[in-house]
Amino acid sequence: MIGLAHYLLLAGVLFAIAVAGIFINRRNVILLLMCIELMLLAVNFNFVAFSRFLGILDGQVFVFFILTVAAAEAAIGLAILVVLFRQRRSINVEDLDAMKG
Amino acid sequence: MLVAILFWAFSAVLVGAALGVILARNAVHSVLFLVLCFFNAAVLWLLIEAEFLAIVLVLVYVGAVMVLFLFVVMMLDVDIEALREGFARNAPLGALIALIVVVELAYVLWVRRLGVELPGETAPLAQGASNTAEIGAVLYTQYAYPFQLAAMVLLIAIVAAISLTMRRRPGLKAQDVSRQVSVDPAERVRLVSMPPEREP
Amino acid sequence: MDVMPMILTMADVMPAAAEIFVAAAACVLLLVDALGGGRARGLAFVLAIAALAGAAWVSSTVGTDGRTVILWGHFVADPMGTVLKLFSYGAAALTLLYSREYLERRDLLKGEYLVLALCAVLGIQVIVSAGSFLSLYLGIEIMSLSLYAMVAFDRDDGVAAESAMKYFVLGAIASGALLYGISILYGVTGTFLIDGVAFAVAQGRAPDIGLLLGIAFIVVGVAFKFGAVPFHMWLPDVYHGAPTPVTLFVGSAPKIASFALAMRVLAEGLGGALDAWQDMLVVLAALSMAVGNLVAIAQTNIKRMLAYSTISHVGFILLGILAGNAAGYRAALFYTLTYVIMTTAAFGVVLWYSRKGFEADALDDYKGLNRRHPWFAFVMLLVMFGLAGVPPTVGFWAKLQVIAAVLDVRLTWLAAFAVLMSVIGAYYYLRVVKLMYFDEPVTAGQDESRFAVRLVLSLNGLAILALGLFPGYLLRLCEQVLR
Repeated sequence: MIGLAHYLLLAGVLFAIAVAGIFINRRNVILLLMCIELMLLAVNFNFVAFSRFLGILDGQVFVFFILTVAAAEAAIGLAILVVLFRQRRSINVEDLDAMKG
Repeated sequence: MLVAILFWAFSAVLVGAALGVILARNAVHSVLFLVLCFFNAAVLWLLIEAEFLAIVLVLVYVGAVMVLFLFVVMMLDVDIEALREGFARNAPLGALIALIVVVELAYVLWVRRLGVELPGETAPLAQGASNTAEIGAVLYTQYAYPFQLAAMVLLIAIVAAISLTMRRRPGLKAQDVSRQVSVDPAERVRLVSMPPEREP
Repeated sequence: MDVMPMILTMADVMPAAAEIFVAAAACVLLLVDALGGGRARGLAFVLAIAALAGAAWVSSTVGTDGRTVILWGHFVADPMGTVLKLFSYGAAALTLLYSREYLERRDLLKGEYLVLALCAVLGIQVIVSAGSFLSLYLGIEIMSLSLYAMVAFDRDDGVAAESAMKYFVLGAIASGALLYGISILYGVTGTFLIDGVAFAVAQGRAPDIGLLLGIAFIVVGVAFKFGAVPFHMWLPDVYHGAPTPVTLFVGSAPKIASFALAMRVLAEGLGGALDAWQDMLVVLAALSMAVGNLVAIAQTNIKRMLAYSTISHVGFILLGILAGNAAGYRAALFYTLTYVIMTTAAFGVVLWYSRKGFEADALDDYKGLNRRHPWFAFVMLLVMFGLAGVPPTVGFWAKLQVIAAVLDVRLTWLAAFAVLMSVIGAYYYLRVVKLMYFDEPVTAGQDESRFAVRLVLSLNGLAILALGLFPGYLLRLCEQVLR
């Protein structure tokens, strides 16, 4: 049978993929934003699974708020990205080295 | 049994799509893989009867947020090859880190089971219970304060996104419709009486 | 949780009046700006300051001696919260006051900037009064999202946009780690009310290994928000790249929020699991003090130097928290409040000194400041002595308190290390003093700032000395609110 542990492990694998993605795509801001979305999906998996298997509703409400905040976060992140792109014509993080030290 | 087959099938696609997100050569492909992730996640949530969130994930998240991502990816003409230069160099490190995180989490979550007896089945739902109604009942009462805070988060997102990206360029040749409509003929056309050129 | 009535009355929401007031003020400001157009800038600025003053009045009116939990456990009002909120309003108001001329010069003083600043203050209030991990998370996001946008606010400044992007990405990763920790904690305790988690931990209902996993991720998230080593990468770039007024804003009031975050999560929620997080904080504190102080020596930009100085001060604040007893928390509170006073004055001087086309952010710009502006050179001297912890400034008492707290829990080596690091740190603070008093001036500057700014900045600087000579009042205040 599929139990809570299955769901938690799946969320853990997703979280690990997101972390690996952050390391692999350190140069590409838009992929970093997508990795963050993936990370939040892993967290949401945890909350939904705990909520349903333990029979307490609160976890699902938390997910509802995470989705709201993630949407707002994506909007601001993409806005900053657009500002950056207008300035630099690039979203490559390693081109972003105006500051040293 | 059917549930188990569905779980394994959809979680396999989910993990594959997640790998696709971080490994795809093209940012547009990455966004589409992410959309696939969200669809699979929604199905997996349906399997444990969290219907409301599954639907919200597809309607709101895929429908709005991912489309926003697609817009931005396509609007910014990103030089893909340049971005992928460090890829081969970083990939082994990324794989190593993923492996470490997976092994650690697998140990704690799977082998040690978080130190408790993790339930093998979802909690039973009351007869005729509606997931959406249950969430709605607490959202506007117990969670009234977080709900208002979420409203502020959205307000900030609107103010920030508009003030960062909207710009009025000087010299932009845009129409001012209300001025066009309320224009007075006398301003545009001047009637002059001229003597005829030729004697009739 | 269900004992409260389903209908909210005025009495139920009264303790949250200050939050409601600030949220409403932000909306009014938005309307004034939208309807008034460019002409209402001056009015919007006055309204923003008035909103902070009004919030201070409301907070001190509704503040109580006891601990009140309202709104189904999501909101906690207690004396510590009142004090932290009052200090954040003060820090935010000083920040806006010092920044006004700089923002006007760069044409950044728009209504949206002030709205975002008020929203950041709202986020700080929510974090300070959080009764559940949910309101804590929302408070963090309200504050952080406002700050990201403020850093990128100068759209013609590519460096600012770059640092905003770094701040955003690392901040979002930190939120992700924090949330993962919260989800595990929710799984093993069955609640995300902070009191509920504390109860479950005290009862021993939470299994050790699950708790440890949750705590590890939460500590990573908290360390990111604080800017503790090894999660400090964003801090120097943001301090350096942001316009100076935003650097001042990021460096002052949000530090109070970081302290509140650590207190609510670690001290109140997970106080029963002190053994699990104490060692992690020891490592973070020691690394922060070492890296912050050593790397600061190599800096030539004063904003970057103050960023590394912040990292080292974060290490000292963590010293107080990791002691895990009332004396330690008090010491950390005292340190945070005095640090905010000092850092506000430090960036205040940088802002006062900057001119059109002259950022005043290189250390060399401060050469011979004493010749031209002896009074503000003296204010800067007080700030540097305060940050270095030289008696008789208040920085000395702050360091003494946290080191005493660490000695109290028999971490003698850590206390000795902290003393060593503050001695090393004194070098780069005193170097600024040397530049100002013993070197030849290279850049000319006129004092053209408003009288009110000069007066407030002077009082801000003198407060460092006054609180150092008479620390009793602030110490007693910390003692009263954290018993």
